[in-house]
Amino acid sequence: MAESVKPMVSNKRDHGSEKILDGLGSAIVRASATNEDAADAAATSPFLYTRLRSRIESERKRREEGEGWLAMLGVIWRTVPAMALVAVFAMVLFLSTSSNSLGSGNANYDVLLGERDSAEEQVVFADKQFTSSDEVLDTILNEDEQGASK
Amino acid sequence: MADNSEPAQADEILGSIEDPADVELVARVVAGDESAFEELFNRHRRRVALIGGRFFRQREQIEEVIQESFSKAYFALAEFSNRQESSFAAWIARIAFNVCYDELRRLKRRPESTFSDLSEEEASWIRETLSSEGPGKNIESVAISRDMADKLLARLSPEDQLVLVMLDAEGLSVSDIANSMGWSASKVKVRAHRARAKLRRGLARFL
Repeated sequence: MAESVKPMVSNKRDHGSEKILDGLGSAIVRASATNEDAADAAATSPFLYTRLRSRIESERKRREEGEGWLAMLGVIWRTVPAMALVAVFAMVLFLSTSSNSLGSGNANYDVLLGERDSAEEQVVFADKQFTSSDEVLDTILNEDEQGASK
Repeated sequence: MADNSEPAQADEILGSIEDPADVELVARVVAGDESAFEELFNRHRRRVALIGGRFFRQREQIEEVIQESFSKAYFALAEFSNRQESSFAAWIARIAFNVCYDELRRLKRRPESTFSDLSEEEASWIRETLSSEGPGKNIESVAISRDMADKLLARLSPEDQLVLVMLDAEGLSVSDIANSMGWSASKVKVRAHRARAKLRRGLARFL
């Protein structure tokens, strides 16, 4: 019984000292915050309004300069994505064009004829006369033989 | 403690009494009448100075608070008139508290004083006050307690310091502080609790 009473008594004592300390703490805060003389002196300081006006003017100038930069940043902000979009579009166009030209370079007539079996194409390529190396040699030999017989 | 000034009432501080002339002056400034701003400045500079004096001891620091507060107010006057706030006094007080808070945070980056910085005279003042269960009332003890109070409060974070001054010295309510600083009420309560506990711990060394 006596043991359980002991903590209660010490709790009460703690609570009491906490109250005292809180009271002193509040008084200290109020003491620190009491500064009317200096506040009055500052409020009635000479040329305070003049200094305020010059501060406002310099702040206004600073803001205007800042606004100029901001406007420029805004333009850049809008321009950069547009330019990037154009660059991407140009890249895509370039890649698609080059892949087409590569494809056509590798193609041969047989493949084309096989793929596109249209009559017109067949006519076009059938009309084409290709001279082989043997034919050229035959022609030269024939001309030589004719010259010799003469 | 020899502080005879009672904590100011929240209504006075936040200027709940409507002053249509202030609103009219604001409208004139927004319209381009610079002389109206000087009138506003003359009306409210003492109030702003008193708020600055709650946190700073030096006259130059208080002047800085006045200038910064009115400078910020000047560029935000359109915002004030758009919001249709009832009181310019309350609005400028809010700006001043925020300026003080910013200045406290700036100063906090410098090396701070500690409890060990208390002189023997100040330590004995605390012991005497604690033994008599009440702050002393003579002028000497006022001077001691003011310097000592600054040293003790310098241990607190700017937020804690601000909350304690607004609660104990300005007599503002938790919701008033929350509105002024843009904090939640629970943040103000937690700050106040922590700050008081820290002050208690510091003072308990002298028990």
